Amino acid sequence: MIEASETRARAPAARGLSALRLIRRSGSALVIARWVGAAALAALALSTPGFLSAPSLLSLATTVSFVGCVAMGMTLITISGNILSLSLGATVGASAMIFIVATNAGGPVFGLVAALATGAAVTAIQGAIIGSVRANPIIVSIAAFALITGVAEAFAQRGAVFLAVRSAASAMHFQIAFIPSEFVVLLLVTALCELILKGTVFGRRIYMMGSSFRAAEAVGVSSWRVLAGVYGCAGLCAAASGALLAIRYGTADMTYGAGYDYDAVAAVLVGGTLMRGGQGSALRTLFGAIFIAVVEIILLLRGFRDEWQYLFSGLIVSFAVLLQPRQGDAR
Amino acid sequence: MILERLRSGSIAKPLAVFTAVVAIFAAVDGDHMRFLSGSTLFSTLETFATGGLIALGLGLTMIAGEFDISVVGVYSLAGCVAVLTGAQSPVLGAVIAMAVGAAVGIGQGLIVTRLRLNSVAVTLGGMLTCNGIAAVLTGNQSIAYPNVNVALAIAQPILGPLTIRSLIAFAMFGAMAAFIAFTRPGRDLIALGSDRRAAVVAGAPVSALIVVVFAFSGLCAALSGAMISYSLAAASPSGLTDVLLPAAAAAILGGVSLGGGSGRPIGLMFGVLTLSVLRSGFNALGAPPYANDVAMGAILLGVGTLDGPDLWRRAASLRLKLAEMRNEFAKQD
Amino acid sequence: MPARIDRQGGYLEQTASTSEILAVEGLSKSFGAVQALQDISFSLGRQEIRALCGENGAGKSTFVKILMGLSQPDAGVITVGGARVRIVGSRHAQNLGLGLVAQELSLAPHLSIFDNIWLGSPQVPFLHRRSALRAKAREALRALGVEDWGLDALVRSLSVGQRQIVEIARLIAREARILILDEPTATLSDSEIERMMRALRSLRDNGHSILYVSHRLGEVFELCDSVTVLRNGRHVVTRPRQGLEKTELIENILGRTLSEMYPPRAKKAAAPDVLRVQNLSVANAVKNLSFSARAGEILCIAGQLGSGADLVTRALAGLAPAATGKVSFYGKRTPLRSVSKSIAKKIDFISDDRAGEGLFQTMRVLDNLIASNLQAHSRGGLLRWGKLREYARRNAERVGLNAARLDSPIGALSGGNQQKILFGRVLRNDAPGLLLLNEPTRGIDVGARSELYRVMRMLCENGCVLVMYSSDLEEVLGLADVVLTMFKGRLVHRYEGDEIEGSRILADITHPDARAR
Repeated sequence: MIEASETRARAPAARGLSALRLIRRSGSALVIARWVGAAALAALALSTPGFLSAPSLLSLATTVSFVGCVAMGMTLITISGNILSLSLGATVGASAMIFIVATNAGGPVFGLVAALATGAAVTAIQGAIIGSVRANPIIVSIAAFALITGVAEAFAQRGAVFLAVRSAASAMHFQIAFIPSEFVVLLLVTALCELILKGTVFGRRIYMMGSSFRAAEAVGVSSWRVLAGVYGCAGLCAAASGALLAIRYGTADMTYGAGYDYDAVAAVLVGGTLMRGGQGSALRTLFGAIFIAVVEIILLLRGFRDEWQYLFSGLIVSFAVLLQPRQGDAR
Repeated sequence: MILERLRSGSIAKPLAVFTAVVAIFAAVDGDHMRFLSGSTLFSTLETFATGGLIALGLGLTMIAGEFDISVVGVYSLAGCVAVLTGAQSPVLGAVIAMAVGAAVGIGQGLIVTRLRLNSVAVTLGGMLTCNGIAAVLTGNQSIAYPNVNVALAIAQPILGPLTIRSLIAFAMFGAMAAFIAFTRPGRDLIALGSDRRAAVVAGAPVSALIVVVFAFSGLCAALSGAMISYSLAAASPSGLTDVLLPAAAAAILGGVSLGGGSGRPIGLMFGVLTLSVLRSGFNALGAPPYANDVAMGAILLGVGTLDGPDLWRRAASLRLKLAEMRNEFAKQD
Repeated sequence: MPARIDRQGGYLEQTASTSEILAVEGLSKSFGAVQALQDISFSLGRQEIRALCGENGAGKSTFVKILMGLSQPDAGVITVGGARVRIVGSRHAQNLGLGLVAQELSLAPHLSIFDNIWLGSPQVPFLHRRSALRAKAREALRALGVEDWGLDALVRSLSVGQRQIVEIARLIAREARILILDEPTATLSDSEIERMMRALRSLRDNGHSILYVSHRLGEVFELCDSVTVLRNGRHVVTRPRQGLEKTELIENILGRTLSEMYPPRAKKAAAPDVLRVQNLSVANAVKNLSFSARAGEILCIAGQLGSGADLVTRALAGLAPAATGKVSFYGKRTPLRSVSKSIAKKIDFISDDRAGEGLFQTMRVLDNLIASNLQAHSRGGLLRWGKLREYARRNAERVGLNAARLDSPIGALSGGNQQKILFGRVLRNDAPGLLLLNEPTRGIDVGARSELYRVMRMLCENGCVLVMYSSDLEEVLGLADVVLTMFKGRLVHRYEGDEIEGSRILADITHPDARAR
């Protein structure tokens, strides 16, 4: 059968609407939008009174870190072609509680290990299921959300757990100028995720799976192993966030982490990673998370109340989605 | 024809699951008559009324091969709109809320079809925006609905254990079942999800239908949000995943497959009823609150795994490997 | 009536009926530099089943697309039912009475036969259970000889052959007079083929005309009233089946066009077998296949759609989960259902589905080139980008790719260059291995093709074994040292060296009856 692909004449770059369509199609729209948006935001931030003050920057760095860690994990999941997970938020809460309970029992290091291990395991199982039978990732994550919430409720008799050994844990919390330890952890997590994605065999396989599941299989990538690893890392990120929350507030319950999934996806989208998978990076998500956090701080400093933050972040995410290039016909 | 429809999997399986759940609860209850009581029935139907409409809207988008996360946002936004505009006339408030829901759906549908974007991403943005609008409209706090008479009336059983809310819910399910079974756009909708490419090639009006499906999903979520806000005499702009989980679970239980094409409104109805019975049943038997979450999660995980397209391939491959290993051992003997 | 001569000197004999329902004259179509159709003229009569035969690339699918309004001709006249027409789109073609059953069916599995017959038709009113439509649907099924089928049965429960009948019924119900079927029997069992042929004959007797595009010459001879042959975009001959000999038909299809783009085969000394395949079976599609191959040899498996030939390579690559059998390579046993284990044993695979199963569309050229060789160039899981780039650059040069474009996205490359990437991916620096290929030059222009053939020969000189499936007979004849012919899952015959001969191979893969060995 003759295919016309070989000899199809390339459409000349036209003006106006066609050019716009071409830019959108090539994905450059997002790149341009990122630079323009960052510049505009920087200008707005610097012109807002009080933005460059220590409390404001400290608050910025703190709030961005809790969601940011989760967003790193979400980035891995999105790049692997599995769109998003709605169970990471519950994992944050559960890990925070486990951290406290374990720390009370055996010290902060034990607490950290326990939290990270459970977070990773619980999420890795989801990845293994999704990879081996190609179950729908959203549904599996919704199911995991219910199970995690239920099991956590079962174990926490009174709802919230309190950290008994404050001193040891508060040693894990420090501050350099206006940079709190949470932000340092976020930078570390980002660096690790970026290293994984760009510098390891595992990372290449994540991109390959997101780019084309079948092509990845055809070169010998084991889908369930890679996805177990991807989701396991995402679980680690969520557990890290939970531990950070527990250290900071000295207490935890299942409301911690509520809604983090949506905030994390927002950061991923605004950063420019596409939902269809196969491309993206942790650095972009960091940009997205900081962008959204800066917007919120600016609104706060300029006297807007909470609800405007919700509206603006929603609008920003919608706008970022609109700039994504069109997807193919196949579902 | 009706018999054939019952026999086909789309209704038989969800019905079977529903009956099984009821039977199990009744058995566990024994003679105590805590489960098989009027109050359990009533609470089941009320839960059904709230979650059913949302599940119907979400389920229809899934049948068409898409996914509407924004039902969550529309639900809360519509509640706020209805309370804010329906002080004098609840019907007017509900109508405005439904219009808002439909508009959100139409907007998202147009974006998905014209810009060819993934429906999950688009509806995620839509959900966040709706939540934001709801927060702004209410000043990020619960607002009370002054018309107490309406609040009482809407939760009043008027036909046995059925209230206005549950009657409307049942009516919507019936209407959609008829739409799917008896109209041309209904059949085209199934084709959309069953094999999108085939539907396009055959000439079905695919883009228009997708917009309609999203509009309907928004409308249903809005209606549900309006009614629950009236019955609680209050609306609150938050309330996120509370609603998505049971809706998705009900859809999956109701036979909807994420590949699209399978599942029908009546099956969906039984899916919602199953989850409602589960919740009311656990309540009636005095089970702790987490039991419901764990049960729903386990069921959803089970069905989601069984629904996986590669399941049979893996099973077949495993069987072959076992057979070969057995042959090897046999040879060694 | 005197025989008419067309412009190319091929002659048009008198066909079965005197009245024409479809006629084309001087039809031409080119895509850039490629002339897909050149001056095609012939006509189709009422109540006639006409076979449209020709090799891959002969122009059959372009012709069909033009008839169905999916493509516009550069020149020529189309006459339908006596009136000159310009077919502007598929709706228009359907209104004119043309209908196509493509290789890929367009049925919605979750809907019933009745719903699928009327899917997308403007005739259907809003409330669609009108009895008039049911009657028409039943009529269509009756015309096909399957009136006993329940109109409300779900298409999901039907076999492939039955689904095809439903697609034909859809065309009949919408009053198509000219039916075009593209390779309808490729995936059918014998009994389904029988039923299909009965249905088509019954349609013809009811007044329809059928254009039957097929490679299966046995069916052509059993079913069709007349045959049209296209070759290289030109019309060769149209004549009644009566009195036509199969060898003559094969000659018409093949012509004498073995070009010089195939590099000469090296004269080889007898070498031992390095690949041994025993009793390879893949579900019901490949049945007990056994063969062997030597190092430095190109072994081509020839077979049409449905012969299972494409599954043989997939099974050896580890991509067929239902494959069983025994395979050994250089004396070592290779497992059959694991891709990673096959790659570890130096068995690589290039898929025919470049876009869906070969390339990573969102990644760069560099990433695509290194995709199956990551572990060899990493240490402790960390990639050594320096070595990877070097490896990629070297392989890119060996296959003729511009090494400066390693960082560009794949989408920017032409089809030929994209295929080169897939070749570049499997070039090994270490001990030679087994390269499995499915349709390696599909959709690729002549220039890129000859470069790829050069690469293949180079691999052979380095000691690789190439096992290749191709439906392009010319390519098989030009490249192969050994040819295996397959038909419906079984091995028909093995040809080596001078035994390789086009007409015998074509005969094997289209209708293997008793033949002289």
